[in-house]
Amino acid sequence: MKKSKNISLVFNNKMYLFLIPSMLFFLILWVYPVLQLFYYSFTNFNGINYNYDFVGLKNYVKIFENGTLVNSVGNTLIYTVIVVVFSNVLGLAVAMALNAKIFLKGFFRTCAYFPALFSAIVVGFIWSYVYMPGSGMIANLIEVFGGQGSAFNPLGNFHTALFAIAIVEIWKSFGTTMIIYLAGLQTVDESLLEAGRIDGCSEWQVMRFIKLPLISSTVTINVILNVIAGLKAFDYSFIMTNGGPGKSTKTLMFQIYEIAFTDQKMGRASAFSVVSFIVIIAITAIMLFVMNKREVEL
Amino acid sequence: MFGIKKEEREADTYLKLSGKVILLYLAIVLFCILVIAPLVIVFSSSLRHVANQSSPLLLFREFTVESYITAFKNMNYPMELLNSLITTGGSVLVVVVIATMAAYPIGRIKSKLARFLYVFFISGLVIPSQMVIVPVAQTFSRLRIPNTRFTPMLMFITCSLPFSVFLFTGFMKGIPVEIEEAAYIDGSSIFRRYSVIVFPLLKPAIISTVITQGLWIWNDYFYPMVFISKKAQYSLPVGMLQFLGDKENPAQWNVLFAACVLCALPLIIIFLLLQKQFVNGIAAGAVKG
Repeated sequence: MKKSKNISLVFNNKMYLFLIPSMLFFLILWVYPVLQLFYYSFTNFNGINYNYDFVGLKNYVKIFENGTLVNSVGNTLIYTVIVVVFSNVLGLAVAMALNAKIFLKGFFRTCAYFPALFSAIVVGFIWSYVYMPGSGMIANLIEVFGGQGSAFNPLGNFHTALFAIAIVEIWKSFGTTMIIYLAGLQTVDESLLEAGRIDGCSEWQVMRFIKLPLISSTVTINVILNVIAGLKAFDYSFIMTNGGPGKSTKTLMFQIYEIAFTDQKMGRASAFSVVSFIVIIAITAIMLFVMNKREVEL
Repeated sequence: MFGIKKEEREADTYLKLSGKVILLYLAIVLFCILVIAPLVIVFSSSLRHVANQSSPLLLFREFTVESYITAFKNMNYPMELLNSLITTGGSVLVVVVIATMAAYPIGRIKSKLARFLYVFFISGLVIPSQMVIVPVAQTFSRLRIPNTRFTPMLMFITCSLPFSVFLFTGFMKGIPVEIEEAAYIDGSSIFRRYSVIVFPLLKPAIISTVITQGLWIWNDYFYPMVFISKKAQYSLPVGMLQFLGDKENPAQWNVLFAACVLCALPLIIIFLLLQKQFVNGIAAGAVKG
């Protein structure tokens, strides 16, 4: 009779039947494909012809040897860090400014959130124009102020391209981050801030030592959502730079897509996916651990 | 409308104008101009004649719908709009039904298995589409699922499950179990309890799911790009891919920008109409979940 201790009459195990439809989708189209990746990573499968051979660890050796893996992991991490830091700093700063009692704040909030509505492909087109050397928006502005507009080419420069597309991602994503911060800030009890001010805290101290700790769970959520989005970076490398110049904007996902579809090397793309999978899981796990610990400390 | 009235009532409590506050206003206005500038230029250029190649910075000197007519024709707009509406609406509907169903046992049963299933679903969040796309395409061909305009919906539904289940399970904990216990005593079946009691009480989470998941599904071009080859089946974002070659050709910009506006227009209209639900839905999804 020990077994029945946890089984409630109201919420009995018959309820698990409710899981069937979503489980079907999830297992067939999400879990099974991921498991297949492990299998294909040991073959020379090309994605079309099923007459493939097992090649052992050759795919893994190849991606480590020719440097594509290290390059794309590096690019993805830089991209993620930039997006997470700036999206959160900007989002929080704007949320704090627009949480104050100011005229037209609803309009300003709409402005700040607006870019989040656009499809990545439209955003990619718009920013391709903004960055265009010679006749793009920034180049034109430089010329208005007497500079050389044709010399400005952030997407064509090996050193700046990755930062340029990271800015695009920040432009699109910080609005959502801001909305989540605004919701977090609105849960802060005004009387606590008042108490701090009476005790002689400066505005900065009120923000750093009262507000920020109170919204630490919002910070965690925002950072996690942004990290996940950053690690999945694909859109702007695909639409704006096609991975170039050189290999400077090839992110993990772009690299996988390229190996699978352009080079038609599904086996190698699978090996790449398996390694990315491990990298992504590791980063997410470490981050969850650190953030949970920090949340308590703050 | 309510928003405006509330603003008016608050009017007497705005921050007093001091040096600091004026600086704050200046910073906000400048920042908003920076953010919005590309969109304003795009909009202004889209209202020009196709052949007008003067600097796009000369805002709103010309008003014509010529570029829009060209873009409209190139895009096969009504068909693409219809496809977008069908796939987004259909996917969101299915997600709401099956994700609330999945969250019901996960949120209610207290056991290791339920706990495991929760983590199992959420872990799906971190897997990117590009990684699984080739095995998924093979699964489709093995199951003899043809490439139609509805094929991407299967992936939209699957990818939306982790976040939706996470959200619904979170909300489920806020619904008192006593209501259901009372219904149980009165003889309601599990299915009746789910459909009559739990589902309606999940309304805030449902709105949140419809908005957050509807937004990415509407804007996604990746799955349709992989699964659809016929032009008549394109949705709005994937239809934009045909302009990929025009983005570096200033002579094509006016039409390209008109197409961008047309592509974003339905969502902009919905956003402006339902601003409050939008903002609350996004925030609730992240804060309460």
